[in-house]
Amino acid sequence: MADVKVRELVKVYGRQLAVRGIDLDIPDGAFVVLVGPSGCGKSTTLRMIAGLENISHGELLINGKRANDLPSRDRGVAMVFQTYALYPHLTVKENLAFSLKLAKVDPADMDRRIDGAIEALELQPYLDRRPFELSGGQRQRVAMGRAIVREPDVFLFDEPLSNLDAKLRNQMRVEIKRLQHRLGVTTIYVTHDQIEAMTLADVIVVMKDGEIAQQGTPLEVFESPANKFVASFIGSPQINFFDGVIKQNGENFAFVTPEITIPLDAASYGGALTDGQRVTGGLRPEDIIPQGHGMKPDGEISIRGEITLTELLGNESLLFARCGSVDFVARMQQPRIVADGENLRFHIAGSRLHLFDADTEVSLRTT
Amino acid sequence: MAFDISTLDLDAIERREAAKHKGSTLKLFAAIGFALLWIVPFYFLAISIFKSSNEYSRNPPLALPEGIAPLWDNVTRAWELGSMGQAMMNSAFYGTVGASLAVFFAAMAAFAITRLDIPFRNGWFMLIFAGTVFPFQMYLIPLFFGYQKLGLLNSHMGMLLFYTAICVPFPTLVLRNFMSGLSREMDEAARMDGANEFTVFFRIILPNTIGPMTAVFLLQFTWIWNDMLFSTVLGNRLETRSIMNALLVFQGSYSSIGPNIVLTAALLASLPSIVLFFLLRRHFMQGLQVQQS
Repeated sequence: MADVKVRELVKVYGRQLAVRGIDLDIPDGAFVVLVGPSGCGKSTTLRMIAGLENISHGELLINGKRANDLPSRDRGVAMVFQTYALYPHLTVKENLAFSLKLAKVDPADMDRRIDGAIEALELQPYLDRRPFELSGGQRQRVAMGRAIVREPDVFLFDEPLSNLDAKLRNQMRVEIKRLQHRLGVTTIYVTHDQIEAMTLADVIVVMKDGEIAQQGTPLEVFESPANKFVASFIGSPQINFFDGVIKQNGENFAFVTPEITIPLDAASYGGALTDGQRVTGGLRPEDIIPQGHGMKPDGEISIRGEITLTELLGNESLLFARCGSVDFVARMQQPRIVADGENLRFHIAGSRLHLFDADTEVSLRTT
Repeated sequence: MAFDISTLDLDAIERREAAKHKGSTLKLFAAIGFALLWIVPFYFLAISIFKSSNEYSRNPPLALPEGIAPLWDNVTRAWELGSMGQAMMNSAFYGTVGASLAVFFAAMAAFAITRLDIPFRNGWFMLIFAGTVFPFQMYLIPLFFGYQKLGLLNSHMGMLLFYTAICVPFPTLVLRNFMSGLSREMDEAARMDGANEFTVFFRIILPNTIGPMTAVFLLQFTWIWNDMLFSTVLGNRLETRSIMNALLVFQGSYSSIGPNIVLTAALLASLPSIVLFFLLRRHFMQGLQVQQS
């Protein structure tokens, strides 16, 4: 059990800044997911916490103690690697026992811990197999078992599911979550997959270019993205962006593009709106609702779009449509077959519009 | 009408597929021709060891032997004339100990070059590998005088020292390439599991490098076993000379003895490395392919 604090964490390779001063406060037992595109510094951050990379600047505190210069083995952290990194020449049981043997754990305690991991991860049938005789999912479980037996204060996961096929990935995702719930160990998890981030995290930390773009609960990050990058990165399919301007008419403000006008509640923007201001509006596909499919939102805003492509997903469809010069994606509940070129009316949930400054790309919403 | 899979003529399909893979008869005969050409020297060896000196000079060289009885006599004469017992022991010592040490040192060097954070990694590697770039004959004279000064000439230790040193570069090249293919996350995992560098080397990297280590051990053993040049120059006494050096006697003072004895001696001399190869062939073949789970 431990809390982890990171202050001004920086990683420099040569003259290249990979991580640019990150602050994190991870309370005991939390599940924190670092998410971002490749090269955003999330893995480097994790590896600095693990002790696999030197910390160029800043401070790492585990349980209030400075851990910058502690070797990995003394930090109380255990890691699950993307490639599982099992020891190929050892059996499953020997893989699990490796760290305990090195630590000279007494045999009775060793057996207790190994048996616990075996039971938790259902590894019983594979104990005498070597890693190459296991499937991807089984190897993944052994890698997790190897971390569990150490009874660490902090679990670190480095893209642990990216080598699995889609079905297994979903299954393992649930298993990881369940395991963390049961063990209650502080967990830091790195992924580039925003669905993993949304489903696993207590707190999501979205990273970009070595910096934190936003951190918050999954809902906060999804509902109130702090900037255009976070809005585009979280959510699938991606949010739709429309370039437009703010028009003021007396007390009333509206977001205006050639295709659409959406009235705005000025209070939500804390007086940040000015007439003629260039902004980018963001609407998620589920907030653009084909007429007759799903609940009609408040307000009478709608646009017409010509369908260019349909993706059938079974329980819903994604409609790719074009209105004037803009392309957008809408989600269709209770789908029907839609032909390319068909002209549809879409209702817009105007209250769910996200507005970003066109230049700084920072969200204009204050509430 | 629906296709009924049970009506399929699998035999016909197999015949058709086989026909596609069959080469022409011409190619087959050409291959047989080359193969025969290739084994003529072995044939000469195989028949000569069964002939007595008298029989060898009486009949044409490629004629079949009259019986197999002279073999034993040939073996004992070759063994005694060449003092092959002593020479075999010497070579076995140089070969096994020298090649083992060399492969072990090479593994340590490869580990340092591929895994440790040391300055000038490539420089170190080039320095070690430079040992194979120059012709070995270049070292001969400096080594001779150096050994003379240090009193290493004609000593087992001196021979072992040389063979170990000369056998380090090539295994280093092979093991470096192999080890750089081993997952780095594996040693990172071991470090997080509490291993220090020595533990990583001995308990994680070495056990996963057995295949290529066996392969280079065999190659280096064979090189040492077959070396004549350095043995002749640095260890020419009866007590220290190697098996290949021992064969030289058949060329000098006993050159009047027949090729049947010489060939028997040569065959005896090459048997141990062949046997060793057969014993370790599984590891050798595995070692040639980088395999990772």
